[in-house]
Amino acid sequence: MSSVEFQGVSKKFGGTVAVEKTDIAIEQGEFFSMLGPSGCGKSTTLRMLAGFIAPTTGRILVNGRDITDLPPEARGIGIVFQNYAIFPHMNVFDNIAFGLVERKQDKATIKRKVEATLAQVGLTGYEGRFERELSGGQKQRVALARVLVIEPEILLLDEPLSALDKQMREEMKFWIKDIQKSIGITTVYVTHDQSEALTMSDRIAVMNEGRMLQIGSPVDIYEKPSSRFIAEFIGDSNLLRASVTELTDTGCVVDLGEGVAVPARVSDAVSVAPGEPVGLLLRPEMVRLMPAHDGEKPRLSGKIVDEVYQGALRRYRVAAGTHELVVEVPNRPELVRMAAGTPVDLFWSAESGVAVP
Amino acid sequence: MGRTIPLPMLILAVLGFCYMLLPILVVVLAGLTAGEFLTFPPEGLSLRWVVAFLQSEKYLSAFFFSFRLALLTMIVATILGTAAALFLSRTRFIGRGAMRAFFLSPVVLPGVVIGFSLFAFYISTGIGLTRTIWGLWIGHILYSTPYVIGTVGAALASYDVSLDEAARSLGASPMRTFRKITLPNISQGIQAGSIFAFIVSFGQFEVSLFLSAPNAEPLPIAMYNSLRYKFDPSAAAAGIFAIILVTASVLLTNRLVNIGRLLEKK
Repeated sequence: MSSVEFQGVSKKFGGTVAVEKTDIAIEQGEFFSMLGPSGCGKSTTLRMLAGFIAPTTGRILVNGRDITDLPPEARGIGIVFQNYAIFPHMNVFDNIAFGLVERKQDKATIKRKVEATLAQVGLTGYEGRFERELSGGQKQRVALARVLVIEPEILLLDEPLSALDKQMREEMKFWIKDIQKSIGITTVYVTHDQSEALTMSDRIAVMNEGRMLQIGSPVDIYEKPSSRFIAEFIGDSNLLRASVTELTDTGCVVDLGEGVAVPARVSDAVSVAPGEPVGLLLRPEMVRLMPAHDGEKPRLSGKIVDEVYQGALRRYRVAAGTHELVVEVPNRPELVRMAAGTPVDLFWSAESGVAVP
Repeated sequence: MGRTIPLPMLILAVLGFCYMLLPILVVVLAGLTAGEFLTFPPEGLSLRWVVAFLQSEKYLSAFFFSFRLALLTMIVATILGTAAALFLSRTRFIGRGAMRAFFLSPVVLPGVVIGFSLFAFYISTGIGLTRTIWGLWIGHILYSTPYVIGTVGAALASYDVSLDEAARSLGASPMRTFRKITLPNISQGIQAGSIFAFIVSFGQFEVSLFLSAPNAEPLPIAMYNSLRYKFDPSAAAAGIFAIILVTASVLLTNRLVNIGRLLEKK
């Protein structure tokens, strides 16, 4: 039995479709992310699960129980908002105790649970503080504690890191993931930040225009995207114009023009046919760049257009025939820097290229 | 600090203050005159007209009638206005803007128009409200409620609805959520609105002129009636007490509520 199940769920606002018919099954303890640009329907999907929006069609099940018609307060689902929504007129203790008070638990139990949860999120001693006296990271911890204390069946996180500065965001990513793992709570995470999704998730659903385009592990999504949109939305990408020449056991062979044929993998979620125009996805870090020399035959040859220094990396733009691609080279002293105009050879392994329709 | 105001603006500000405060000063001084008539500058200072006011059955009863009327108006206007503001801010439908404008229209309509319309309505329908306390009360509520809608609406505009959603999700029913989360966070707007309603009702003249019952005159009407026949400084003395009451209520609310902060949040 799945922890969360969407059965044919869709949502229309007036005449516009916010979420197209969706079926998802999320497993017990899974960290499931919905990733997409703003307006893609991910928040609407989350809000249907929380009970703030009623779906137009379909049913939502939590641990086998149909919750489609239940109000939010009867769902036992905890949600952390983007802006944390800490009650400004209550101190930290009362914020965290809120759900327990609503459940009419006795004072001693509430005190014990709140204190235990505060310790869990590392905020012991902050009971008397108010929202305005907390930093962004502390608010986040309070918001999470307020939800965890009621021991919800499902945890929903709505862009919880977007209000934090970069350093805090990195720290909280791992912290949230650790807490989630230690409790083993089924978690649905909404974000537009691909690095958050890749770092934290067991599975990612990439959404655009109300549709779930691909659902898969971070490795799947990053290394075998099923469409151009996903390839470009997640990570940096080179998409070379190509066409399929033949199908193979591991995927296909594509023609890059001028008689250059290279192997490519294909996502399980799609199928391609010979003659079909596709994009050959090559991640900038998967391509090896060397000054042109005799010997091993390169996949492509070209010339350096320019170099951008990025500290840990050097990014080269390379023109190769009709294609232009970006290649990242680790910034190591033994790797020769190449000036604009330098003839170069490009290499990549057979697994690196992905054909995307 | 350290920010200096340009001189022309400072002069304008001072002139503005004078413009607003001088009439009040005139009333206060006129009420403290030692002479027989309402004159300015006063002919010497004394408390005789203040004493006369305090001993005047007519003025005292008008003063306390106005006070009770303003209090009862405030209560109803606060409830209605808060409910209306909640409805306007929490629902989305075609014609919401028009409805908002309609609800707020008593602020922009001349009081005379409202007073006369209600008067004509009471008479033509014959529902027994013409020149009764109830009819007057209804008029005052109609006139004061928009002020509550305005201030509560401002408070709700800056209110983060995810607070309510968080409370719901944590197990609170809609009613509990309103009482424990929404209400405490918009209470400044409600308090400011209710004090506005009180002041507006206490000083209301045009609506009262058409609707007040002969045996129960609010203070502004009593002052007007008395000044029509006799240029009596006790009207100015009554004015002093009205100013004191309104100032006191504003100061009191300012202690309870930071009106400036509320308006700033808008």
